Amino acid sequence: MTDRKNHIPFDEDNYTHNIERNNERMLDRRGFMKTLVGAAGLFAISSLPWGTIAAKELMGLSKKEYSHKKIASLKAVAVGDSVDFSFPGEHDSALLIRLSETRFVAYQNACTHLRCPVFWKKEEDKMICPCHHGEFSAKTGKPVAGPPRRPLPQIQLKVENGFIYATGVKRYEA
Amino acid sequence: MKRSFLGVFLLALILAINIVTTQFMVHQFFYEHYTNTLACVALNLFLFPVALLIYKKEIHKGGKKYEQ
Repeated sequence: MTDRKNHIPFDEDNYTHNIERNNERMLDRRGFMKTLVGAAGLFAISSLPWGTIAAKELMGLSKKEYSHKKIASLKAVAVGDSVDFSFPGEHDSALLIRLSETRFVAYQNACTHLRCPVFWKKEEDKMICPCHHGEFSAKTGKPVAGPPRRPLPQIQLKVENGFIYATGVKRYEA
Repeated sequence: MKRSFLGVFLLALILAINIVTTQFMVHQFFYEHYTNTLACVALNLFLFPVALLIYKKEIHKGGKKYEQ
């Protein structure tokens, strides 16, 4: 048995029959256990980045700070009316809607389909994208009809001293 | 001497727990349940020294390295 394994078929440069020890290629119990420990180590290391990002999120380091922006005065916006503004940048157009005496909502109004500007249609109680007839619910910003599948990013608002301020953009939640 | 497969069994069990924990960790991360994610990370990190300990204890059990 041993002789047959170690037999070199012809007397030339030997590249194929160069395994000297018997059983060298065999994965024994210890080798297998070693592999399993290595796998455990790999799992431990690979979970580190997830932990780092999760800890970062929990400590609120990823929360963006926005400077507050005055949108309009309370008197200027009647119930059911909307106001165009831009937040946070000057090219991020947004839409403020007064749903009731006390309830305001605001969204960035680039349609989540192909970024056409969405407008507020009071009679239908919806936000409508004119390009492909996408429709969004004004209460939640979620798409209700047409091609868009993702909600409009909501803008956080604050009412103070008779003025409405934009204070931040809600993070996208799937 | 009969070889001991207890270590192999325990380490395979640890591997199974690792796989399940990692899957759970990734899913909880995307659901934004970060506390659960951190718990899974801690469990994964804890399992590695345990695996090492089992290996160290079990390596000399059983017979010679190559039984003829």
